[in-house]
Amino acid sequence: MSAARDLLPVAPAARIRAVVRELLRPRRGAALTAFALLTAATGAGLLTAPLLGRVVDLVAEGRPAGALTVPVAAIALAAVAQGVLTGFGVSLVARLGEGVLAALRERFVDRALRLPLEEVERAGSGDLTSRVTNDVSVVAEAVRNALPQLARSVLTIGLTLVAMLVLDWRFLLAALVAVPIQLHTVRWYVRRAVPLYAEQRVAAGAQQQQQLGTVGGAATVRAFGLADEHLRLVTRRSETVVELALRGIRLLTRFYSRLNLAEFAGLAAVLATGFVLVRNGSVSIGTATAAALYFHGLFTPINIALGLVDDAQASLASLARLVGVADLPEPPGAARAADEPAGEPADGRDKVALAVRGLRHAYVPGHEVLRGVDLDIAPGERVALVGASGAGKTTLAKLVVGIHRPSGGTIDVPGRVALITQEVHVFAGTLAEDLRLARPDADDEALLAALDRVGAREWALALPEGLATVVGEGGHRLTAAQAQQLALARLVLADPPVVVLDEATAEAGSAGARVLETAAVRAVEGRTALVVAHRLTQAASADRVVVLNSGHVVETGTHAELVARPGGRYAALWEAWSGTRRA
Amino acid sequence: MNHPENVSGRAVLRRAVTGQWRRVAAAAALGAGHQAGEALVPVLVGVVIDRAVATSDGAALGRWLLVLAVVFAGLSTSYRLSARATEAASERAAHAVRIALVRRVLDPRGGAETGRLPGALVNIATGDARRVGLVNWALAGAVAAVCGLVVGAVALLRVSVPLGLVVLLGAPPLLWLSHVLSKPLERRSEAEQEQAARASGLAADLVAGLRVLKGIGAEPTAVERYRRTSRLSLAATLRAARAEAWQGGAMLTLTGLFIALVALVGGRLAAQGDISVGELVAAVGLAQLLLSPLMILSFCSAEFAQARASAGRVAEVLGAPHAVAGGSGALPVPVRGELRVSGVTLGPLRGLSLTVRPGELLGVVTPDPAAASALVRCLGREADPDAGTVRLDGVDLTSVEPAEVRASVVVAAHDADLFEGTLLENVLASSGDRPGADRALAAATADEVAAALPAGVDTVLDERGRSLSGGQRQRVALARALAADAPVLVVHDPTTAVDAVTEARIAEGLRDLRRGRTTIVIATSPALLATADRVVIVEDGDVRAEGTHAELVRDHAAYRAAVLG
Repeated sequence: MSAARDLLPVAPAARIRAVVRELLRPRRGAALTAFALLTAATGAGLLTAPLLGRVVDLVAEGRPAGALTVPVAAIALAAVAQGVLTGFGVSLVARLGEGVLAALRERFVDRALRLPLEEVERAGSGDLTSRVTNDVSVVAEAVRNALPQLARSVLTIGLTLVAMLVLDWRFLLAALVAVPIQLHTVRWYVRRAVPLYAEQRVAAGAQQQQQLGTVGGAATVRAFGLADEHLRLVTRRSETVVELALRGIRLLTRFYSRLNLAEFAGLAAVLATGFVLVRNGSVSIGTATAAALYFHGLFTPINIALGLVDDAQASLASLARLVGVADLPEPPGAARAADEPAGEPADGRDKVALAVRGLRHAYVPGHEVLRGVDLDIAPGERVALVGASGAGKTTLAKLVVGIHRPSGGTIDVPGRVALITQEVHVFAGTLAEDLRLARPDADDEALLAALDRVGAREWALALPEGLATVVGEGGHRLTAAQAQQLALARLVLADPPVVVLDEATAEAGSAGARVLETAAVRAVEGRTALVVAHRLTQAASADRVVVLNSGHVVETGTHAELVARPGGRYAALWEAWSGTRRA
Repeated sequence: MNHPENVSGRAVLRRAVTGQWRRVAAAAALGAGHQAGEALVPVLVGVVIDRAVATSDGAALGRWLLVLAVVFAGLSTSYRLSARATEAASERAAHAVRIALVRRVLDPRGGAETGRLPGALVNIATGDARRVGLVNWALAGAVAAVCGLVVGAVALLRVSVPLGLVVLLGAPPLLWLSHVLSKPLERRSEAEQEQAARASGLAADLVAGLRVLKGIGAEPTAVERYRRTSRLSLAATLRAARAEAWQGGAMLTLTGLFIALVALVGGRLAAQGDISVGELVAAVGLAQLLLSPLMILSFCSAEFAQARASAGRVAEVLGAPHAVAGGSGALPVPVRGELRVSGVTLGPLRGLSLTVRPGELLGVVTPDPAAASALVRCLGREADPDAGTVRLDGVDLTSVEPAEVRASVVVAAHDADLFEGTLLENVLASSGDRPGADRALAAATADEVAAALPAGVDTVLDERGRSLSGGQRQRVALARALAADAPVLVVHDPTTAVDAVTEARIAEGLRDLRRGRTTIVIATSPALLATADRVVIVEDGDVRAEGTHAELVRDHAAYRAAVLG
């Protein structure tokens, strides 16, 4: 199934850096200011420990209680400064991060929506969907929470180490005892955490899919007596999720336990250093106290920073998948022909809206679906494409629209061809917004006129809030037939000269199908249309019928002509379809 | 309607805790140990300063560093074990809730899905189940935090009663202030999340409708629309981030002022000789540390509130009334297949009566799709009639367990789902009989669907068959219904997305395979109806005409309109 898929591109680290740098460039001033503010804020926070040390010293020196007022007031002042500077600094970091994120996601969506469909289909639609949902939210989460935390923790760690250096360089040396343990622990952790978390995500996805299948298909499960089987499947998937969560917590707790060891080693070393330095008179007791407090104050930021390492890895992976798409070049203009027309169909151009010559196509080399199709459609003509499954109808439609490039032959169309398929999608938002996707400047009257033309005006106005009714995911649910009418109304608004309709009325059920057939006929009135006919009534009302068989055009003519042709393929189809109509 | 059991949210929570009480108790005890250990670290730092550094006593340094090592080992071990027990208790409780929910949804008597979208139910089974499980996390955390608080308080009060009181009385107002500060933030953050969700929702929606967008060339409009939403979302996010930044800043200031106060009081006490320098150091460290169990407590209370809300939603599903009652009656063995519908009223059906003879292939045409659904639901006991009865071989279906009814009457709804797994696994679902499955595949022309797939019948169907076209999906679903080989088979619109040629072959295959066993085809397809022994038209809730397809086409204008268009 998904083994041999060509996933969409993933950016290498160098490209990620380049793109992020490019997005940051216009914000360089803000970045420097944010860095300065946060550094100052952290510095102010670090004043507390030496000031407390000063209090200790004053007490140890036996000074009167009044002498404490100055350092205590300084602590209070530092606290205020730290608060204010942090407020400004973190706000600025958010503006930077969120601004870059917004620019990136906009560029991503821009490229994603312009990707050639062929490429999206080759990758599987899940690839693009998971990038636009999971990856965007992973990166957003990192920017929102991890980035400010990481920035502040790293600054705190750096400045604390500097402060210890200022107290006495030997304190810094003692503190560094913890570093090898921490480095080793992080490497040990990341090696295990990254694959485990990937496994957890896969298991969570599998559980979600299983539940959607079982719960969404509950009626079917009951109808076929499959409840026990499905309960077993759900239980197994859920147990896998539990099992992986427990493995995750075992890993995480071992990680923090090892960091505890680093904490102890460093703290003991700092205390021992303080002991030696006080004994030989290099520093005061207050300084030794400050050094110990500094080191104790490092526990939390170090845990935060190191704990974010695997988040950082995950968000880098997501970022690579976003940049991979955002970094794609604009797709080249619609070049359709596999080989350029050799000076061919210049004659009779004004009489032909769509000219197909010797069209061949194979999805798998050597397995041709179309084997040399010729077809001319006059402006305003409605041609129905008829044939059994596998005859090549949908392939022909996809080639004409430009979803796939033909293996051979030419397709000559002036401009763009619109396509309406059986895959309907109601865009989330108001009904008017949905329609305006097709023509952004249309006023309400134009929208209603389009709805009227496809017979949808009545129900649209009967919706709770008319055109302003929220439809689609999470909104008012439209029936399959209504959704299909909406698609046709969009077509009317987009107003393309040439249109391809592929099984546009198939899924609505028999009763709805007829309403939709009328709507479809009205929507394509005045347009050149190629209709992939599912119901033969669609063919019967077309200007011309083209019968495809095994990749060839085998018959062409009006419905009446073809039905009257003795032994003809269409005549046989019509007989099979209308059954005992003549009985 | 009968209620399975009266489940309350409170009961759901209680079960989540009592089912895991050993783990929760262990987690709480060990968590308390961890909290105490963390509180002891600054105390020991003070002791080392006092007894070793200030006195230059090397032996004391060695002794107390050893004690520090023991404390670290203890706090590390208790943290590790406590976190594992907590996670296990939460995950296992969530698992139990999840399974109970799915069991309820799949109950043969149904009813859990009424008024709920599948997505919402899945959210309850994943998100809400998880949050109910987290009640164990909150409980263990709260107990441990209280223990940590008590240990810290005792240590502080032992250093000095006035200093201890300053800390213990000062910390709660500080937390209260932070709570007050974060209230508006929470509100704002909700609005922001809504906006941000709108941007990501729009992107996902546009990608889902990518083909439609491209079909009408609406990509530039869609990109522009996304850009506008993204900008709005950015503005909202920034407002919330700014509020959050200032709240964080305010908390830093408040904590700093609190420390200054403790230093002032403690320093004065030390200056007067009431406490030692080391005790002063310990007190300042403890004052900072005590903020953490207090914060944990407020997290826990938020988590409790969420767990309660989630448990309420879980309870609603578990306690949803059944759609149909159980039953103690039994169907005869073997089932002959005589189906007698008398005076059935349900939705658009008004006193519908019709009889299906054993072994008959009956076509049913209903111009109103809702009437077809109502009939399908009645025959499969997904719903019971408001009035009237459906009898199989003389036995009222409502007197028989729904699961037993469905073993004899297989209903293939037109929107039946396929499941994850191979095509063959889907078809074999309820029979397990391979030769039978092959015959069914051929009759439904699903063997041709399989032939076009990379691994034939062993091809795994992605996303529950979404990778197949509508027509292919219908053919596989029909093959599954045929493979069940039931005494009575009801199929509803089985071929609406299948092309005309194939549909005619399916109609023949269906007739041949079901020969001699009762089959009801609810459809308006002439190809299917032409092969039926008899066709009835149900209009305005009851049978209006009957005959063969040919007779009805000839004599009945409404039938012609409904079937031939």
